Amino acid sequence: MGNRITIPFGSQHVALPEPIKFVFQTENERITSVEVDVGYVHRGIEKACQTKFKYTQVGYVVARVCGLCSISHTLAYVTAVERLMEVEVPKRALYLRLIVSELDRVHSHLLAMGHTAEVAGYENLFMQTFRYRETVMELLELLTGNRVQYDYACIGGVNRDVTPEVAKTLKERLKELKEKCLWIKDVFENDLTLKYRWKGVGVVTKEMAKEFNVVGPPARAAGLETDCRAEFNYLPFDEVGYKMVVRKGGDIYDRNLVRAYEVLNSIEMVENALDSLPQGEIKVPVKGLPDGESFVRVEAPRGELFYYVKGSKKLVLDRVRIRVPTFANIPVMKELFIGMDYSDVPATVISFDPCLSCTAR
Amino acid sequence: MEVEEIKVPLRDVRKTIKEFYEEDKWHFITVNAVDLGGKVELKWFFSPYGEKERFKVVVSEVSYDEEIPTITYLIPSAWISEWELADLFGLNVEGAKTGLFLEPDSPKAPLRRG
Repeated sequence: MGNRITIPFGSQHVALPEPIKFVFQTENERITSVEVDVGYVHRGIEKACQTKFKYTQVGYVVARVCGLCSISHTLAYVTAVERLMEVEVPKRALYLRLIVSELDRVHSHLLAMGHTAEVAGYENLFMQTFRYRETVMELLELLTGNRVQYDYACIGGVNRDVTPEVAKTLKERLKELKEKCLWIKDVFENDLTLKYRWKGVGVVTKEMAKEFNVVGPPARAAGLETDCRAEFNYLPFDEVGYKMVVRKGGDIYDRNLVRAYEVLNSIEMVENALDSLPQGEIKVPVKGLPDGESFVRVEAPRGELFYYVKGSKKLVLDRVRIRVPTFANIPVMKELFIGMDYSDVPATVISFDPCLSCTAR
Repeated sequence: MEVEEIKVPLRDVRKTIKEFYEEDKWHFITVNAVDLGGKVELKWFFSPYGEKERFKVVVSEVSYDEEIPTITYLIPSAWISEWELADLFGLNVEGAKTGLFLEPDSPKAPLRRG
């Protein structure tokens, strides 16, 4: 019999800036069972959306679910309402939504990669990654007016247009950013110590990914070809050079590489979208009240974001349901920990890029 | 969007899902609840991998005290959606524990009407 110890990981932990708690039972540092608690900061946003706010305001409320992917939340909500009310969104607005949504993915992925580097003890890489992420934050501020809570999409279109000057600046700075991201990808792909630290650690096999319905970069890193950008028509990804990034290892190394390659593809898509930006309106007026139900799948940086809305010709909706990617990935994380060495837990958890702000919305 | 809705009584939900669900083909998204006042409408959402805008939705209605059969025997990851139903709607789901999303001093069943 080995040395049995109970280790609480979180809700406050140096490796994990999120209020989630895992309680690990270990035997000689190997995990034998795990309990999870995600409810420290439940904010009742779904309840607020169906009691306090009009359907036209909910987009701004759900943007506050998460600071990192607020664009995806608003985008999913407005798309669901537009489908319910049969609103035809102008093409220019769809392109602008795509640009902002992909820039959001770039900064979110860079943040996740930086955190993984930090947990592996590679602080220099962490700082460089965050430094380059700053460029994207500045570009998003230029486009939307805000660094974090963007409130860009609205029912019927978007709130701000892009001027030719801003488009020019975006293109110039994206060119610089692409070079920096290529360097980051190169380090994550070829650095020998990172390979030793991450290859074969925290492996989600393709079978596990299917069994546990894993979403987002962890699923694609395991070889599962799933991406809402390919499986749901919400933005014109096919027109701007979207490519699905799939790898087979399913480990921390591959999860980071999926993000690294997706960052490059996102930059490419933004450049293409800016080059072929259609002329015309950015918003159409929306009349009437939502009646019936609608649901959408949107690929947030962390994976599939599912929104369900139901209205009955009232200003306030009957139901707003938000199923976020971290929520979908918690079951596989829990399963993955069994049999793993405790020392591999922080890097594995961070490589999933968990967001408790979204999970306990 | 192509949506196939299958309305079944609660006792047939597991059987219905078992008939079509293959983990190679279908992606289980979530189970969603809407309080209709006195009863709750449940919807289990599925989408096939690699196909555009296609959904299969299993629909059933449940009263507040009825036991909801778990589908974790078929889909192991479904437990988290089921535990959420127990927490936020106060529903009686087979094998579900409460307290995953809400703390002991939180309001009980906050997403119920009234």
